Amino acid sequence: MGAIFMSLVELRGIKKYFDKVRAVDGVDLEIDEGEFLVILGPSGCGKTTLMRMIAGLENPTAGQVFIGGADVTALPPRKRGVSMVFQSYALYPHMNVFNNIAFPLKAQRREKKFDRRAIRGKVVDTARLLEIDMLLDRRPRQLSGGQRQRVAIARAMVTQPAVILLDEPLSNLDAKLRANARDELKEFQRSSNITAVFVTHDQIEAMGLGDRIVVMSDGKIQQVGTPQLIYDDPANEFVATFLGSPSMNILRADAWSFGFRPENFLPKTLADNPENSRIFDYYVKRVEYLGSDRLVYGYIRGRDSELTLAKVPSNVRVSLDVDSDYEFAVHNSDIKFFDRVSGQRIEHQDLGGVV
Amino acid sequence: MASVTGLSNPRAYLLDNRRFVGIMFLLPALVYILLLVGFPFLLAIAFGFSDVTVGNTDLSFVGFRNYEAVWENNIFRQVFGNTVMFTLVSQFFILIFANILAIIFTQEFTGKWFARFIFILPWATPVSLAAIGWLYMFDTKLSPVDYLLLQTGFLGPDGVWGPGRNLLWLARPALSQVSVIFVQVWRMTPLATVILMAGLSSIPTDILDQAEVDGSRFMRTLLQIKLPLILPIMVIALLFSMITMFGDMTVVYLLTRGGPIDYTRILGLYSFQIGIEGGNLAQGAAMALFAFPLLLALAIVMLRVASRAEVR
Ligand SMILES: Nc1ncnc2c1ncn2[C@@H]1O[C@H](COP(=O)(O)OP(=O)(O)OP(=O)(O)O)[C@@H](O)[C@H]1O
Ligand SMILES: [Mg+2]
Repeated sequence: MGAIFMSLVELRGIKKYFDKVRAVDGVDLEIDEGEFLVILGPSGCGKTTLMRMIAGLENPTAGQVFIGGADVTALPPRKRGVSMVFQSYALYPHMNVFNNIAFPLKAQRREKKFDRRAIRGKVVDTARLLEIDMLLDRRPRQLSGGQRQRVAIARAMVTQPAVILLDEPLSNLDAKLRANARDELKEFQRSSNITAVFVTHDQIEAMGLGDRIVVMSDGKIQQVGTPQLIYDDPANEFVATFLGSPSMNILRADAWSFGFRPENFLPKTLADNPENSRIFDYYVKRVEYLGSDRLVYGYIRGRDSELTLAKVPSNVRVSLDVDSDYEFAVHNSDIKFFDRVSGQRIEHQDLGGVV
Repeated sequence: MASVTGLSNPRAYLLDNRRFVGIMFLLPALVYILLLVGFPFLLAIAFGFSDVTVGNTDLSFVGFRNYEAVWENNIFRQVFGNTVMFTLVSQFFILIFANILAIIFTQEFTGKWFARFIFILPWATPVSLAAIGWLYMFDTKLSPVDYLLLQTGFLGPDGVWGPGRNLLWLARPALSQVSVIFVQVWRMTPLATVILMAGLSSIPTDILDQAEVDGSRFMRTLLQIKLPLILPIMVIALLFSMITMFGDMTVVYLLTRGGPIDYTRILGLYSFQIGIEGGNLAQGAAMALFAFPLLLALAIVMLRVASRAEVR
């Protein structure tokens, strides 16, 4: 392509239809070198399909894939310099760990001119890096979930691909192992400076790992940005409610709706800037004690049909009694407005007549 | 309350009993094995140690006399050799063809379903019908194969296989053996292919996609991923096919009756001819039982191999 800077991977107008199912429906995306990009979205939104098209396992119905500036849309996976870790890890069950990791090297030995000794060296080095060098003789079924995941990553890394694609690689691990693996994966990516595309439907994973997050739904990209941008400045109602737990409170007006996050909805006495805040009369129906936070269920007076949540830190000494009314405040900048029809963010509206 | 939990219903209770349900599931197989396999087998053993004939059905014990007689019978030795040779040679070709066909039929191409359907026909055709078809193909005078060879100049006065106008497929020693093996391969390849296809399509697609992303091409994926993964199924398919072939008599019975001389006579046919057609039940039984230890050993070895190759 031209002399202008180009991102490592670029998707242009990518679509994939399976008969009538629009798995991916017009995606434009640029992935920079050395970036950890997370694709986040609910189940069935087309994340895996999108990733398979980057890998070359699926032919797009329309659109182009560029890697390193070259159009690879028509190229098979082996010519793309991409490696992949499947959700199931897809380890070759009849090969030991050594041969699993060596497989891509052997398969590409002619193109890349690896000899036997070089292969052994690379496998051992990669295994050492991932701390699985003592497992090289084992078969996959003799490994724990965490060990399998490392073998799969080692196999994907060993050829030093331009991009590594990871499809929910942590979802088979238990919660504790998962947090650990997340940390290690990020550390590993940073130190090896590899470009990673990581698919997940777990927002905590996405927020923790991603340099940038791509939020998808129904085969379309909803928003791309840093975790903070996506959380604090959602482009539309879907992104606003998909991220955050519990999710953003949404209240309807005629032509638009507005929302604020439960953690930004606090008793007025706690608000640090009451002049710039909106005050609501809040009726507390029920309080859940969650350890570090109290989750408050209730509604804003005059809006009795819309359940509104507040998340109040436990360490602040405000008593919140059930069946009582309090004044709660939200900072004006924490209130987001959305178009009722399109769901897109719109500018601030006057809340005067609404609440 | 009791009706809600089902406790008042004794039948529901019985069906919750794992032992009972387990036995019920096994029962049909047990009945089948006892009546149709176990009883004839024991009867054959009893016959083998007796002097029973079709004319005289009193069983009197004669020890190993039948087995000695069979062992000293030169025809029996040739028959036994034929059986082993036919089985091994046809299995060899069946394995090769079935693998190739299974790989072709698991690829995507237009007309795949029609091709699969056509291909399965030999297996779905009753043996007797198929054999009659092949009798015609191999006919001394009318063979269409001979006609083609004649037209293309291989047969006839100037042909390399001339000067005769017919090859006499079933009348010459080597050619009759080739013919029988050919029909067996034709008949047994579809089943083996179907089994291997089932094996191939049971390989998780993730594994094959992974191999593709790893840069593996067709042959490497085939030799290093697909074949090792279907090895257990392949061994089982081979075992079934070998046991079926070893005991089979229909094809030779219908095509050659064992001739010319004894060139296509195999164990199943010979014991039938001696025991039933010749009326010497005792010796027929003894003869058939010679195959038993061999097949038993074969089954044990192959099942071992299969379970050792099983990795999933
Ligand atoms: N081979 C296929 N044939 C038909 N439909 C498909 C195929 N693969 C995916 N789909 C459909 O495309 C849509 C997107 O699937 P995809 O696997 O990409 O979702 P996903 O975002 O990865 O979901 P998950 O988080 O559950 O893995 C789904 O509706 C799915 O049913
Ligand atoms: Mg998926």
